[in-house]
Amino acid sequence: MTNVIVSEWLKLRSLRSNLYLLAFSTLSVLLCAGVMFMVTRGFDNQTGDDRLVFESMGAGLGTGLPVACFVMAALGALSITSEYATGHIHTSLVVVPRRQRFLFGKIPALVAVTLVTGQALVFAMHVAARAVLGDRAGQVLLDGQTLGASLSDPGVLTGLLVAGAAMPLVALVGLGLGAVIRSTAGSLVALIMILFVLPVVAQTLPSPWRSWIGSFMVENLPDQIIAGAAPGILSPLAACAVLLAYPVVALTGGAVAIAVRGRGAKPLVVGGLLTALLASVMMIPSGAAASTLPWKSCGGELECASIEVPVDWSKPSGRKVSIQVARLPATGTHRRIGTVFAIPGGPGGSGIEDLKKRGGGFSTLRQRFDVVSDAPRNTTDLGVIPFACLSTGPWITVPGSRAAYDRLAARNRASAEQCRRSDPEYFDNLDSGSVARDIEAIRVALGEDTLSFVATSYGGVVATTYARLFPDRVRALYLDGSVDHLADHATRARLRSESIEAQFARFAAWCESAALCALHGRDAGAVWRALTAAADRSPVPVKGERVTYSGFDLKVTASADVTSPGPAPDSPHWQRFARAIDQAVRGDASGFADIVEPVTKSLKVPSFRGMNVTHCTDGLAFGSYEEFRRMKRLGERISPNFAGNQLWHPLACVGWPAPVTNPAAPLPADRLPPLLGAGTWTDHAVVANIVKAVPGSSTVRYNGHGHGLYLSGNQCTISHANRYLTYLRLPPPGTACEPPTTS
Amino acid sequence: MIDVSGLTMCYGDALAVDDLSFTVKPGLVTGFLGPNGAGKSTTMRVILGLESPDRGIALVGDRPYDSLTEPMRQVGALLDAAAVHGGRTAAAHLWCLARSNGIGRGRVGEVLEQVGLGEVAGRRIAGFSLGMRQRLGIAAALLGDPGVLMFDEPVNGLDPEGIRWFRMLMRRLAGEGRTVLVSSHLMSEMALIADHVVVIGRGRLITDTTMPELVERFERGVLVRAADQRTLAVVLRADGASVSEEEDGLSVNGLSPARIGELALASGIALRELTPRSASLEEAFMELTGESVEFGAEKAA
Repeated sequence: MTNVIVSEWLKLRSLRSNLYLLAFSTLSVLLCAGVMFMVTRGFDNQTGDDRLVFESMGAGLGTGLPVACFVMAALGALSITSEYATGHIHTSLVVVPRRQRFLFGKIPALVAVTLVTGQALVFAMHVAARAVLGDRAGQVLLDGQTLGASLSDPGVLTGLLVAGAAMPLVALVGLGLGAVIRSTAGSLVALIMILFVLPVVAQTLPSPWRSWIGSFMVENLPDQIIAGAAPGILSPLAACAVLLAYPVVALTGGAVAIAVRGRGAKPLVVGGLLTALLASVMMIPSGAAASTLPWKSCGGELECASIEVPVDWSKPSGRKVSIQVARLPATGTHRRIGTVFAIPGGPGGSGIEDLKKRGGGFSTLRQRFDVVSDAPRNTTDLGVIPFACLSTGPWITVPGSRAAYDRLAARNRASAEQCRRSDPEYFDNLDSGSVARDIEAIRVALGEDTLSFVATSYGGVVATTYARLFPDRVRALYLDGSVDHLADHATRARLRSESIEAQFARFAAWCESAALCALHGRDAGAVWRALTAAADRSPVPVKGERVTYSGFDLKVTASADVTSPGPAPDSPHWQRFARAIDQAVRGDASGFADIVEPVTKSLKVPSFRGMNVTHCTDGLAFGSYEEFRRMKRLGERISPNFAGNQLWHPLACVGWPAPVTNPAAPLPADRLPPLLGAGTWTDHAVVANIVKAVPGSSTVRYNGHGHGLYLSGNQCTISHANRYLTYLRLPPPGTACEPPTTS
Repeated sequence: MIDVSGLTMCYGDALAVDDLSFTVKPGLVTGFLGPNGAGKSTTMRVILGLESPDRGIALVGDRPYDSLTEPMRQVGALLDAAAVHGGRTAAAHLWCLARSNGIGRGRVGEVLEQVGLGEVAGRRIAGFSLGMRQRLGIAAALLGDPGVLMFDEPVNGLDPEGIRWFRMLMRRLAGEGRTVLVSSHLMSEMALIADHVVVIGRGRLITDTTMPELVERFERGVLVRAADQRTLAVVLRADGASVSEEEDGLSVNGLSPARIGELALASGIALRELTPRSASLEEAFMELTGESVEFGAEKAA
């Protein structure tokens, strides 16, 4: 056999045409560079978010890969069709009468030459593409990839090696086809069909066929083997099997064809067995979850189901309640990774409503994930506890004495009882721990080993609770403007104060520069501080109503508008806030009541019982009157403009009748993956403080206003979040996103 | 030694080889004769394992060809001189073949010299004439210094000098005790080369004999012309010959020319011509294969 192999090597080497053919393969490198050049032209012509929708060039092989593959396959085909064309085959078969030995003797030389050439080509293509892309390669795109991948990126080196290693396999496909078809022209046409035409045809199929069929195309297999970024639904093992099946099938055909003397049975059996083996690898389920939920369509692409969970998780066999679950199924264009669970904010928001209204933002993630959410048990309008009761609550005052503190407690308790009495057991089990356990029950019903989370706002408390209870079930956790459940009161107060003070400074600066501001020309900060201090001594009345606003009331009301100025450049919320201040300075707090009333049907901000049912059982209350006093003094020290504002939520829980069932506790950092946080000017510090609990975590800072970036569709943040959720790649520390420039 | 026995080979409905059996012995040049389409090439391809027969077997040195591990060392064959890749040099071509059978590189130079292609060893085959390709094919057959040699129509394209060279080569190879099988459709050519002939037509064996035997079989008596032919005929008939009168002489069978001479002398008849006569090999060949010519010109009515 060695003699035959060496002889075939000599044959390959002794033909100049083979050298020319290999030289021709460098065309693929030029092609890569050319395509990259066109991409950079297009990319440079775009700005901002328009750049994010570019498709990643990956390692940069692109169109070069099929061209290189074709040349290698042609080399393989020619190594036998040229023998048929010249008649040399007869000479060859006379000197090597065992035909399969003759055919298979060609393999080692062919593999050696195409492996070396293939690897060289692949790396040359990559280097050329990188050179043309330059710095643009690092741009993170909406699909979570960068425009170009570098060798240091995980999987890229392996990907190139696999792509290079695919070359000899493709060459063997050429050899097998050549042995079957015998004609050079026929073989080349067949190879063009397989390598170029079929993939294009697959592209024209409707989804999900496009992706399904496309996944089996040679050019898409290397990337699927390394579980890379390109479309394709096969698992790495299955993709590997398919890639191997190509030459096995082709060579089996070739071996049968060349053994015209009826000895075809053996290779047919061997090849058939091998193909069956490879096919069986393909059939191994690629991590598809076996959901036991009876999904039903509930409008558009959304599917709904419900799951029974115990009301009280400490009594699993006790009373059950039904939780509604909704899913935007994966679109099937890429290999499915798993489920992204979107935890809604609030507390009291419904994730199903989020999916209905803002599900489009998940379209890129859905290439690889089912996106699932639920209407948690504490959703305000669920109806177990009357909505009318949960959707409002008492006005909170800052107690000036222990007696006043106790009176507040009694008032809170009485207020809570109004809701509680309709279903005390349910009322007492609306903490984030129960919500997290519900999610775990959903995970089990989904058949997923792990979940990836997008946790918005107060959903962060649920997420961190879940991470604490079920750390091994967390694949990835993206915290978006999340509330911090881990920090103590002091830290939380400090972070909140810092961010609202910074935000107030922006408001003051805006007032100074914008004529639209009612306080333009005055020192807005000084006016505000004087107003709130005076109102704390002598509350400002709302004209025509029997309601007065203390400084605390003004701050609680103002904080939402300060945080969210409304759309630039008019900043309508800042305008009405400035007008309200101006009016209040003149003795009428109507401007503030007008901010509150349309939203809450109340002249002052009520302490929503629907939020408190969760806040209080999550342990938001002060531990004691002394702690309240300490926090109050801390606020006065660190927050000149908004001292006291941070007391509002905790004070609502003083005297709360339900026990604290989900107190804050540290995260098991060693069992969790690194986290990603994202926050606006007002949220970033809080989010950064949460994720630092797990080493290696990172954040994206959005240099703009707002709350909740993923659901509000901020493309830059979504890009980084998708990169993290899909590839578990974190942005480097200090990564920032800028608001889209408005023209 | 080549043994063909009961060989039958069909292409679809057409019977290419029909129950053919013959043996090619060492030390002789065996001519393999038959008109175009008689099945010579098919038979050789079967012997070399390129075709599988429907029935029967072909053995080379008691073994089927395709069971040989390094067949070039036992059998050298030239089937089609054109069956080479023109892109290789003569030396590279031979080296590829030699290496596949573990034959050393030295043999490449040797056989190239032997066939007279030493000077063009480094030239690409694409530029070779048909004759040069024949020589290259013969060189390839000789590479493994085999005991059995098979050549299919080897003199096609060879110039007269080349043909003479080939004849001598065949003689020498047979003289070295090798088994040599040379196919041709030209009897005259075979007459000069072969010791033994196997003649086939339409796939069937017509004759398998030595060259002298074949010649003898087609003796056509003695042509005698004499002054008094009528008397001589009587004398010869009296001696047991069968005599028939022809236009300008007698055709005598059953007596050697010497005896005829003696009888004529004894009778005092002057002989004008005494010619032992045999059919030409060409004629013999035509006679043998006349009915089996597959693509013969239409006979005149």
